[in-house]
Amino acid sequence: MKNKNKFIIGIFSIIIGITIAIQLKANVEAYVPATIQSIQDTLKEIDIVKSEINELNKIIEEREEELKTLEQIAEGDENIIEVLNSEKQKIMINSGYTKLEGPGISIKMYDNPDSEVVGFDIDDDIIHDLDILNILNDLRIAGAEAISINGQRVMSTSEIKCHGPILRINDKSVGTPFIIEAIGDPQLLMASVNAPNTYGQILKNVYYIGFEPKIEDKVTIPAYDGDFTFTYAKPKGEGDI
Amino acid sequence: MMVVALIGILIGGIIGFLLPYTYNTAYSLYISIAILACLDSVFGGVKANLEGNFNVKIFLSGFFGNSLLAALLAYIGDRLGVPLYYAAIFTFGSRLFDNFASIRRLILFKNKSV
Repeated sequence: MKNKNKFIIGIFSIIIGITIAIQLKANVEAYVPATIQSIQDTLKEIDIVKSEINELNKIIEEREEELKTLEQIAEGDENIIEVLNSEKQKIMINSGYTKLEGPGISIKMYDNPDSEVVGFDIDDDIIHDLDILNILNDLRIAGAEAISINGQRVMSTSEIKCHGPILRINDKSVGTPFIIEAIGDPQLLMASVNAPNTYGQILKNVYYIGFEPKIEDKVTIPAYDGDFTFTYAKPKGEGDI
Repeated sequence: MMVVALIGILIGGIIGFLLPYTYNTAYSLYISIAILACLDSVFGGVKANLEGNFNVKIFLSGFFGNSLLAALLAYIGDRLGVPLYYAAIFTFGSRLFDNFASIRRLILFKNKSV
């Protein structure tokens, strides 16, 4: 009887051993269960990676075309000055050194003109640098391609700083009324500042700040008149295009 | 008795490594939970054998029933998005140690009355 028991336990121990060994052979890296959510997350990640690959492929195609034109130049088919000029034009546009024109919106903003104070504080009735920054952010999210405030081009390096009753932009002082102009999809830009619950609407309807967005067929954005000089930043020389 | 179980697992391990068979890695969670339940059953069997009240029916039903229930629990938990297999891990894990503790005492004090 005792031996029979030993035999049964031995047999089943062998079965366990076999399963453990096969499990080890399967070489599973992590014992994280594949829940439905994790599967969906992974699918999303795969989608993102795929779209990234597509974009990279597009970039490769563009680069190959550029290479072709450059090779043609090297062979002397095209005039190099022309190519360089068009390149320069492109860089000027990208860096904001050209006057730009296109459809977009203009927003006129001014302090609450009523003599009555709305909030507890007189500060609630005037426009602050943060209000302008929030509006600019909304415009950028809506795909604004170029923005100016009172004739000052808003660059990536432009500061928008409260200076008492005025604002400083590109080291220049501008006062109310602020006219923000942006080039982009006019409907989208309008929606980004005029739709319910946007920052612009809250400014207008809660704080009674003057806020008049207007769709324009043709907006002219002036060129940036400052200059970029990097004192501290040096190109690393990696990933140059 | 303990030695029989350990040698059995060792032999089984060697056989398993030599066999060319592998299963889908998608089931690895369920299998590992089932392995835990089986181990618990074998340890329980060893303990019962040392105590002298080993029953083949109880052993077999525990061996297969526990492992199937554990794997099923892991599967249901997976479907529901709740890690139910923790229940199996905690239960069988703690029972494994309990059984082992009993086995140690039974072996160490075999010739003495505790």
